Amino acid sequence: MATEHSDDVRILAYDLVCAAGTGIAELDVSIRSQTSGLTVNDFPNSHLETWIGKSSGADGFVWTDEPALQCRNNALASICLQQESLQSALRQLIERFGSARIGVIIGSSTAGIDRTEVAYQHLQDGKLTPEFRQPKVHNPHSPAIFVAHHCKLKGPAVTINTACSSSAKVFASAARWLRCGFVDAVLVGGMDSLCLSVIHGFHSLQLVSTKPCKPFDNARDGINLGEAAGFAFLCRAEKLDDMPHSGMRLAGYGESSDAHHMSHPHPEGEGARQAIESALKTAGLASKDIDYINLHGTASQANDLIEGKLVGQLFGSHSAMSSTKGWTGHTLGAAGITEAIISMEAARNNLVPGTLNLESPDAALDLPLSPENQTKELHHVMSNSFGFGGNNCCLIFSKVEGI
Amino acid sequence: MSNNLRIKILGTGAWGPGFCDWQTLEQHLETHTAFDTDEFVSPKPTVIPANERRRAPLPVKLAVETSWQACQQAELDPADFACVFASGLGDTETTDYMCKALTTEEKLLSPTRFHNSVHNAAAGYWTISTGCMHAANSIAGFEETVPLGLLETAVQACGDNTPMLLTLFDAKTADIYKEMFSTTQSFGASLAVAPEGHAFFNRAGPIISLTVDPRPGAWPAIGNEHLRYLYEANPSARILAVLDFLLNKNTQQELNLPLSQHSTLRIIKQ
Repeated sequence: MATEHSDDVRILAYDLVCAAGTGIAELDVSIRSQTSGLTVNDFPNSHLETWIGKSSGADGFVWTDEPALQCRNNALASICLQQESLQSALRQLIERFGSARIGVIIGSSTAGIDRTEVAYQHLQDGKLTPEFRQPKVHNPHSPAIFVAHHCKLKGPAVTINTACSSSAKVFASAARWLRCGFVDAVLVGGMDSLCLSVIHGFHSLQLVSTKPCKPFDNARDGINLGEAAGFAFLCRAEKLDDMPHSGMRLAGYGESSDAHHMSHPHPEGEGARQAIESALKTAGLASKDIDYINLHGTASQANDLIEGKLVGQLFGSHSAMSSTKGWTGHTLGAAGITEAIISMEAARNNLVPGTLNLESPDAALDLPLSPENQTKELHHVMSNSFGFGGNNCCLIFSKVEGI
Repeated sequence: MSNNLRIKILGTGAWGPGFCDWQTLEQHLETHTAFDTDEFVSPKPTVIPANERRRAPLPVKLAVETSWQACQQAELDPADFACVFASGLGDTETTDYMCKALTTEEKLLSPTRFHNSVHNAAAGYWTISTGCMHAANSIAGFEETVPLGLLETAVQACGDNTPMLLTLFDAKTADIYKEMFSTTQSFGASLAVAPEGHAFFNRAGPIISLTVDPRPGAWPAIGNEHLRYLYEANPSARILAVLDFLLNKNTQQELNLPLSQHSTLRIIKQ
């Protein structure tokens, strides 16, 4: 667990591509209008009856970068990295610090496996055909390799693959990298594309709903898979000078392990509790200070019950809370960054997103959940991410006061 | 905290072709001699409960066994260590199984093999088997997996003042990938470390300090020619350069490993 420290890590710029929008502006419109990005599953070669959160633009994306790096996941990342908010910050940071002093930390669970699946559909005599012999795609580091290449960043670049907590943990690692000072800024992010492995893999665990997911509802019966790519630039406040920033800072983080089961959360949420308490400690905040919690809220029976009981005990009804999976689906390795960005947008807009599709809140829980959005002054926001293998991460973002 | 991370190595574990523990590998690194055999014996880590062990794929068993060895050598409880599990190529046999199954009409996957397919399967099995509730990271760095793993471990050890376990593991790749990857031998190694300032730092072991330099670097050679193929072909076996350097009794005090296109990890022996 992390110890207390006095880091002031600022979020310079961030952007997101997911089913609920290509870029933050579209995302904000979807949230305000309560427009879900979920659609009936039409992923190529998958005939499973379910709903998915597909990013517009990924299907027809025309790949113009190096052919050796082509895959759907990298296409999603390309679309996001083209957003002007990120391009502008990238230019300024390279100019100020140089490309070797900017690190890259990307979270992913699928990496380039969407491409590996397609490669297997085109085997000849049991071998990969030449166009699919892409060593830099068929390995779990594929996401950070591509992002560093695409952004022409030459500092250390690593991929974190801890399933659904991957792109939450990137913030914790980046805070430590910045504290050590061997980089001046870090591009963090997460990217996970839809693929057959996750749609049919979660189906094998009987975790996929045939309908739009209903987090924390009595009638919830499973998750919807989604895809997303999101990125943020982090830099310590004392190095910022006059560079513009988002008005948000990373206030705290907590990481822990359940030590319980590969695919089932700890029954009392013990690992999740440790991550949340550790995040509060690093932020120097008490649970009553948290104004909004973006819950992991996958809409699986087990997750929502265990997480719901835990946050009920720790936060009571003081903190507003919701699951936003009804907009995006569960974007797995990209869920951390997706929900970190949704939480920061909630704070900047003082708008708590509702829990979309909630009709009849789980009777076993007593939580302040509502399908409707609500206006509320938000200073400190929290995002929970819990993954397979019992891998937990909790993040707290705070508004920078006095701006 | 600064860009100079001091850690002490408290224990080491190793498993590969011809060796099933650190002591055997250490001896051959020191004497530059050939191994009696290059046969790879699959590890059977007894710390994993038997019914779970049956389900565990080779990369997980490699990682858990060497992690256990490192903690045993350090004479410390595994539950006291936060951990970084690092693998360059992941579990290609499980990927191969999944991708083959997904070309069929039914697309039926084994739920166990699906949950084993996550890159953090090793971290999951390890923390479940040892009751460790600390942060467990799981990273990939392709050809730079070893220096990135060392850096991430030292940064977290020093930054959070916690003892850390670093486990590097790559099993030989599935046949279908042999035109892309030359990893035909499996290897795993673990280091149990403590940062300066932590109580465990008072225990016995070599001290190294790590610094990141913003300049490109190249991979060093290792002394034992019989390990050269493993060193070059298995991303995790690049740790052999560090282990070799630590054992080297001559005057070499500094080792440089390429970290990225324009950064180098400098390791200084203290």
